[in-house]
Amino acid sequence: MRNRFTELFEGLLNSNPFKNYYKKNRLRPPGAASEETFMELCIRCARCIEVCPYDSIERADLFEKLQIGTPYIYPENKACYLCMRCMKVCPTGALNPKLTDGKKVRMGIAVINQNTCLNFLYYKDEMLGVSATGTAQLCGTCYNVCPYTDEAIVMEKFILPVVTDKCTGCGICTEKCPATPEKAIAIYPEGMPVDKNTGYFGRRSKVHGRERKKSADALKGEKLLEEKQKIDSSDVKPDFEYNTENYDEQY
Amino acid sequence: MKIKIYRRAAQILTVFAIFFIPVLNVFELYFVKGTFISMDIGDAAMADPLAVFQSMIAAGRVNEYMLGSVVIPIVLMLLLGRVWCSWFCPYYLCAEFMSWLRRKLKLKAYKPKYSENIHIRQARVRYIFLFAGLVLMAIAGVPILNLISAPGVISTQAMVIVKFHYVTFELVFVAVLLLLEFFYFRFWCRFFCPTGTFLSFFRSKRGMTVRKVKEDCSNCMSCVRSCPMMINPMTMGESAHCNNCGDCVDACPDNKAQDTLKFTFK
Ligand code: SF4
Ligand code: SF4
Ligand code: SF4
Ligand code: SF4
Ligand code: SF4
Repeated sequence: MRNRFTELFEGLLNSNPFKNYYKKNRLRPPGAASEETFMELCIRCARCIEVCPYDSIERADLFEKLQIGTPYIYPENKACYLCMRCMKVCPTGALNPKLTDGKKVRMGIAVINQNTCLNFLYYKDEMLGVSATGTAQLCGTCYNVCPYTDEAIVMEKFILPVVTDKCTGCGICTEKCPATPEKAIAIYPEGMPVDKNTGYFGRRSKVHGRERKKSADALKGEKLLEEKQKIDSSDVKPDFEYNTENYDEQY
Repeated sequence: MKIKIYRRAAQILTVFAIFFIPVLNVFELYFVKGTFISMDIGDAAMADPLAVFQSMIAAGRVNEYMLGSVVIPIVLMLLLGRVWCSWFCPYYLCAEFMSWLRRKLKLKAYKPKYSENIHIRQARVRYIFLFAGLVLMAIAGVPILNLISAPGVISTQAMVIVKFHYVTFELVFVAVLLLLEFFYFRFWCRFFCPTGTFLSFFRSKRGMTVRKVKEDCSNCMSCVRSCPMMINPMTMGESAHCNNCGDCVDACPDNKAQDTLKFTFK
């Protein structure tokens, strides 16, 4: 029963102020329910914001439309250090208070941009025997700062950082990455719908539709690992691209 | 003027607290944290029942964290009546300040005349406003009434000022309300505030209420004139409008000789 009019209608509903969509490096605090549920549950009490000892959590301002007052983490400014305090204070369960193990947190997943990561550039230089940048530098900061070094992030060929599905999405790597002007590693938030799929229509039909369960294991486990394994250190293999288009089908 | 002194002290302490709690948190003391939408003291969690109720409707589920956090406010409400409003709500203090300002500026009295059915009109507007708000909120599926909860906004703004050193747009909303408050006597609390309306559902006749304990009094009507909620304290102490501010008890001249109008438990 899809035609021009239903699509027009959907489009109208989807451009309303309830919109919340997937945006790189903008995360919900650890333990947050999937975005739709989170927006229903969070009463904007700011308790999680107050309790965060690192001031990682920021309060959404007016430019975030109706999400004003809800908590966000912008790992480029300040990552989450997985101290696991914020979820315990949440009065409505918007952040899961049963979560106590930092390892189980899945706020998102780190994705390395192989074209700007200093180590990948260095490796390219080495392999090609020419200096592509002229300023080859060895980094490895993300590997060193990750709270789950060698689990969430591993070094291939002792030099190329690769993120695995154990990544919690805490964003410490993003905060510390020295690559300029843009960080070479970014966090892709978990459980957020893409822009055009988010308005009122998107929310209701997705939340209460059958797809809810399915979305829970989107790009996790095996499937994610598969994606990740496509990354190879030598640059002959295809480039890994985080598949954001697929969000459409998943949410 | 006894009750009023205690009440002022409680109000000023509350305002102090909304700025001081974030300061404590900045210094990593987390014994008390949160805002007036929800806070905890030690392990005791409290949340605005309306806020939690909204998220129950929106999410279509109830969990133990939600229930746990409304226990204390509701028990307080049942025992002491709507003391939240007149003793703690920072907005109420601001609204009282506006009345005081008017008195100081010697503007003419703006409190409407008491009439038999003014409280019915108030109640009608309040319930319709709350109901419409809840319907809108259920459609949106987001607890949006919290965005217009005056005490919640004031205390989150205080937190934002202390912790992040800026204010956000919601403060404009409170500023507009207070400006209107200057011209219309207690209009927000009497006609609109969803928080206060929802709290008054938990008012019990057995809790603390104002009652005339003596058969007759000098019928001076001082209490009626003093009531900020426009009800008749002699007969309607149990009404959902009464927020147990005690202004009528203070105003009653007969109290000096013999207990006439008092807070009682039943
Ligand atoms: S886990 Fe700790 S550091 Fe991370 S957001 Fe929560 S309170 Fe802040
Ligand atoms: S503690 Fe929970 S309800 Fe309060 S602002 Fe944080 S996520 Fe929202
Ligand atoms: S790679 Fe490590 S530091 Fe980066 S987000 Fe994942 S868990 Fe956090
Ligand atoms: S910190 Fe940034 S530049 Fe350094 S290795 Fe990691 S992704 Fe590459
Ligand atoms: S009615 Fe609302 S604004 Fe007025 S005192 Fe009560 S909670 Fe505060």
